[in-house]
Amino acid sequence: MNDAATLLKSAPARSTPRRRLDFFAIAVRFQSVIGLILVAIGGVIFSPRRHGSILFLAPDNIANIVRAISETGIIAVGMTFVIITAGIDLSVGALLSLCSVLTATIMTTWGWGLVPTLLFVMICGALFGCAQGAISTRFRLEAFIVTLAGLQVARGLALVISNNQYINISYGNGPGLAPPIFSVLGDRLFDNTVPVATLVFLVVAIVAIFVLNFTRFGRYVFAVGGNERAARLSGVPVTLVKISVYAITGLVSAIAGIVHAGQFNFGSANDGTGYELTAIAAVVIGGTSLFGGAGSMIGTIAGAIMLGALANILQLNNINAALQLLATGAIIVVAAVLQSLVRRREGLGR
Amino acid sequence: MNTGSHTPLLAMRGIVKSFGGAQALRGVDFDLESGEIHALLGENGAGKSTLMNVLSGVIAPDQGEIRVDGAAVRFTDPRAAQAAGVATIFQELDLVPSLDVTANLFLGRELTRAGVLDGGAMRRAARARLDEIGFDVDVDQPVGELSVGRRQIVAIAKALTYASRILVMDEPTAALTAAEVQRLFHVMREIARRGVGIVYISHRLEEVPRVADRVTILRDGRIAGTAPPTAPQSDLVALLVGRPLAELYPRRSGAFDRRVLHLERAAYRPRRPKAGWRAPREVSLEVRAGEVVGLAGIMGAGRTELLSALYGAGGPGAWSGRVEVGERPARLTSIPEARRAGVAFVSDDRRGAGLMLRDSVERNLVASVLRRVSPFFLMSQVRQARLARQAIKAFDVRPPRPELAVGALSGGNQQKVALAKEVLGEPRLLLLDEPTRGVDVGAKGEIYARIRELAAEGVGILVASSEMPELIGLCDRIVVLRGGRTVAEFPAGAAEDDILAVAESSQEDSDE
Repeated sequence: MNDAATLLKSAPARSTPRRRLDFFAIAVRFQSVIGLILVAIGGVIFSPRRHGSILFLAPDNIANIVRAISETGIIAVGMTFVIITAGIDLSVGALLSLCSVLTATIMTTWGWGLVPTLLFVMICGALFGCAQGAISTRFRLEAFIVTLAGLQVARGLALVISNNQYINISYGNGPGLAPPIFSVLGDRLFDNTVPVATLVFLVVAIVAIFVLNFTRFGRYVFAVGGNERAARLSGVPVTLVKISVYAITGLVSAIAGIVHAGQFNFGSANDGTGYELTAIAAVVIGGTSLFGGAGSMIGTIAGAIMLGALANILQLNNINAALQLLATGAIIVVAAVLQSLVRRREGLGR
Repeated sequence: MNTGSHTPLLAMRGIVKSFGGAQALRGVDFDLESGEIHALLGENGAGKSTLMNVLSGVIAPDQGEIRVDGAAVRFTDPRAAQAAGVATIFQELDLVPSLDVTANLFLGRELTRAGVLDGGAMRRAARARLDEIGFDVDVDQPVGELSVGRRQIVAIAKALTYASRILVMDEPTAALTAAEVQRLFHVMREIARRGVGIVYISHRLEEVPRVADRVTILRDGRIAGTAPPTAPQSDLVALLVGRPLAELYPRRSGAFDRRVLHLERAAYRPRRPKAGWRAPREVSLEVRAGEVVGLAGIMGAGRTELLSALYGAGGPGAWSGRVEVGERPARLTSIPEARRAGVAFVSDDRRGAGLMLRDSVERNLVASVLRRVSPFFLMSQVRQARLARQAIKAFDVRPPRPELAVGALSGGNQQKVALAKEVLGEPRLLLLDEPTRGVDVGAKGEIYARIRELAAEGVGILVASSEMPELIGLCDRIVVLRGGRTVAEFPAGAAEDDILAVAESSQEDSDE
């Protein structure tokens, strides 16, 4: 095709009026980023001061915030995939705890090396997720039910393996001792500023942003959630995609479990309770629709950080935990209402 | 026709498929030559879509074989069919509303570079493909924001990306404007010239001579006949319906009483306009007691919207102009208001909006007249059962078992239940949207008879339908809607072509 012909043919396309920039829709699309900025501003304003410096902005405090959200953040990243397919995974918190127990047990009593241990735990987590996805797709069960059962199973396994005891990790070389390098997960790098747990979150987040936005698999995740029938008719391997997203939440839960064990130097069958709800909250605040088909990984990450920053401000001001819950609840409602408004304006809402 | 050594591009032989008890296909043979446009006609429920779903690998046939170029094939899923060069444009468009046009065009066959999606290349290719078929769509726009007609275009462009041998088009023109249809036919002939065989499914008879090389008519899951496209329309109609029209449609009474619905320059202004919802803008019509009035118009003309707005189901908003029900002004802005005024509505989406499929026939029947079966707030099982028995008998629901789940009934019997349910409320105005969609010809006749009986009892009936023969056969008068406006009125027995000419003319004026 020569240039003149190209020009002629694309001429009418250029004349199509560009869609107006819809600032409201854009604002809602990045609502969690804006929310994060607002919370940060609020944090600066309401932060207690000591010797004229703002405690909220102190490097130590920032490090605390990003460290505190690293585990739920890692999980929320995986949860974003599941929720974009219009699914849900309630088993993540229990699976985190199971994986922390596994990590501690393997390193202290089985005496495996670091790399085999981590690989094994991550594979276990992914397989656990796979099993949930397979059961849910094979028997056409709601993911809600399957992962609710998965939650009980994971928690039960953790209790059995740990005998409902903390499995403490001691470091050193020899039987019953974990490789000392593993304790780095509780440390901070770069002049004692950046927590290693946060770095893990960062790596997981970057990989997830890439997979969701720049790979074929990511596209399929959106398609399955947006219109499953259409995806199937287009030749998208729908069942495989669905199983894969649960494998992803299983994998990230395992990573979070490993981080948990490394940060606290023990594995416990009673930790991670309610993490699934925090993770879902971060995803929803981040602008991902529970109806599936639309969502943003960056939104999730900002949402997770925002929840952590909010909790931090309230803590700095000695506001009790009950009020923190109220604030979180209010933010979830506001985020969901904003999105419902946009959906309705676009004529997609129900 | 083709015997001996010649092998057709596609040969389907003895295809049988049943769903539950209902036989959708009872041994169908279908051929397609390379470069041929073969029209497949049939009424709703005749089995067209089932046959094409078999061809495109969506459902597996119970019996029969499919040969492409003489080689037997077995498509277990859509992907296998696509790999063999069979592309299908489905009626329920296989598009993902939240993804943009480019992503939809390449769904399932994305272009990648080193494993990473190549967005730029896909956008350029999408642009080029749409230009090639002469349609102008913004490739970055989410499909959910496009009009139905434009979505259709995207779906067509998408199918063309992998239709190397056979292209199946299931009612592609239903939502297109006249100019777009013209363009589409041009594109189809262009594709056929390259050697692709096209199966063109439609129930619009007048399109056949314009585009098809051969016509096959399906009725009740069997081939009713094959004809050249030049065959007279009356012959095709007889094949479609399977009997003279006079037998299918009951006699009209012709004696009308007082006006039950009177609209004069009526418009419904929703407080929040919805994309793709064509609000009634200037509607003038009347329905008298005992009269069946038809509402014609192409898809997107606003038929469903007018009926649901009259039933107060148009969302928050207000009517302007004159709106009278039973010779008294009526507000009709909420469903309770409309029901109190004596308006009843049977939706075209009986499975989604009309019936509780898992619940029993009996409980469905009384759902809209709970007040009559629940004196003092307590459900009277006795009254409920009595009422349900009467309705089942009056509408001849088969099997006549009130305890059966509605979802277990055939489409026709489900429709009877949906109709009976509204009639129990003793409306003076009954609004029917596509009353025979997905219903086989036998049950159609019964539903027509029941509609006529209701009219004879003094109910005024307003029927919207996309099947022109149905409106012509059933109604006393036909009002044509275009772009939310009433534009013409035809007496009983008007010619289909005349009505369509009005319904389809200069669509452009309907866009804002």
